[in-house]
Amino acid sequence: MAGSTFTRRRAILLLTLTTVMLVTMDLRGSGTVNGIRSLFGTVFRPVESVTRVVVRPVENAWNGIVNYGDVLEENQRLKDLVAYGEGAKIGAIASVREAQELLALNGLPTLAGINSCSAQVVGESPSNYAQTVEINRGSECGIKVGMPVLNAAGLIGKVTDVFNGRAVVMLVTDPSYSLAVKVVNTPPTTTVVPGAPGVTVETTTTTTTTTTTIPRTTTTGIPGFVPGGTVAPVPTTNPSAVTSPNATVQQPTGTGDINKPGQANQSEITVPAGADLPLRETGALEGRGISKTPVVRFIENQPRFGEVNLGSPVVTAGGASSLAPPDIVVGTVSRVIKRAGSLGPLLEVKISANLDALNFVRVMLYQPTTEKVGAP
Amino acid sequence: MIDRLLEISQNRYFRLFLVALVVLSLQTTLFNDMRPFGVCLQVMLLLAASAGLARGSETGAIAGFMVGLMYDMVLTTPLGVGAAVFAAVGYLAGYAHSFVHEPNWWSRMLLAAGASAAGMILMPVALTVVGSEGVLTVDVIGIAFVVAAFNAVFSLPVERVCRWALSEPKVTR
Repeated sequence: MAGSTFTRRRAILLLTLTTVMLVTMDLRGSGTVNGIRSLFGTVFRPVESVTRVVVRPVENAWNGIVNYGDVLEENQRLKDLVAYGEGAKIGAIASVREAQELLALNGLPTLAGINSCSAQVVGESPSNYAQTVEINRGSECGIKVGMPVLNAAGLIGKVTDVFNGRAVVMLVTDPSYSLAVKVVNTPPTTTVVPGAPGVTVETTTTTTTTTTTIPRTTTTGIPGFVPGGTVAPVPTTNPSAVTSPNATVQQPTGTGDINKPGQANQSEITVPAGADLPLRETGALEGRGISKTPVVRFIENQPRFGEVNLGSPVVTAGGASSLAPPDIVVGTVSRVIKRAGSLGPLLEVKISANLDALNFVRVMLYQPTTEKVGAP
Repeated sequence: MIDRLLEISQNRYFRLFLVALVVLSLQTTLFNDMRPFGVCLQVMLLLAASAGLARGSETGAIAGFMVGLMYDMVLTTPLGVGAAVFAAVGYLAGYAHSFVHEPNWWSRMLLAAGASAAGMILMPVALTVVGSEGVLTVDVIGIAFVVAAFNAVFSLPVERVCRWALSEPKVTR
């Protein structure tokens, strides 16, 4: 009996020591641990592939039973979205192209100038505590740890492990995820309505000019956010308004100055108020785990920035040390939690990409300047 | 050389390794897709608990460690955390089983469920200890409940498999 107890104690002690050693080695980024993982993956992948083929009918049956109603609903919703998106598509493509040309003309970096590698999601984490997915492209494609991953809707995460032919992507909802982002606070538009009745003056002008605004189109589905698009009013001449010499037209009068946007009180033009271009404030996006939306912290409580509006777009901030280039769409502000003092608000973010149904993704082969080889 | 290979193949932990490899592939494919109530079912945990129920606490701890280590290999969590938790689950299942006077099918199911629930609570605790954030939430209770219920249902066949895999080879004269 004493011998048995000794053996048991020795076994428990050995297991404990082994655990401590393994955890320590892994947390310190030991190459041996990565090698063992890679070797195990080589042995395990063929078994997994065979099992995947064998259990596929069972999976399909399960999905048929459990998800049939959802799929029908989603199909209907997607049909509506396609119909809605078709009209906006052409204008959006033109806008994006113009924006990229403008950025290129000014020597500014654009997402189009960054190489990328397309991949397919082949599996997600079989754990209840880690939000990761596995993609079927790896180091052979030039993928490195830290590179941002996005799909058509926006950012989904970053690469955390790279092997030959596969890589692991940590989703933005993972508690370990953090990234610098910008919140684009959409300003309220000011609509100027004619106030006092106009005064009739004599003039020799023979034409009148009306101003129309081009309807805004977006590619992201985020209201108020036009990627790279600055919409200028286009003056058009109304031929029917041509009058004879000495015609009488109404001229704006009053206290406002028509040359200052937002101050003319006789025009029916809707313009953003003078300094009301979208204001940006940077913060840190942090995942909060399963079933919780990520939050943006460290937004300063500035009077100029004002209160953050719900639905304001959140995009990556970029920068020399950020793992993602600027202006990748992340999502929209879904809730603003006000905090006392100078803490600034806490913003809950609704991610643009649907992380529950990931298929094709794009890994941007982007490394910040501080990470590149030869960087100081 | 062949004799040596035969000797290795007769080792009970090698047999368990092969069984665990198949169960792990089921875990990463079938049970990764089938998520009742949004919970990923944990058959690897069931394997560890069943090893303890089948062959006692000491064997359960070693088998649990092995199974957990294999599971760690495909997860992004620190290597060794799952191994430690699964070893504890295997040990706990075997130890609790030794107190049952006349074990029957329902007592085994109950023990498998209890050990699984303990494992699902221990896992986020261990992850928090090694520095992970946001894993120890109230959701853990629901997850533990669903996993325990499922593991109780499948504990008897899995325990039988473990009993076969961890049996000592018969001595032939």
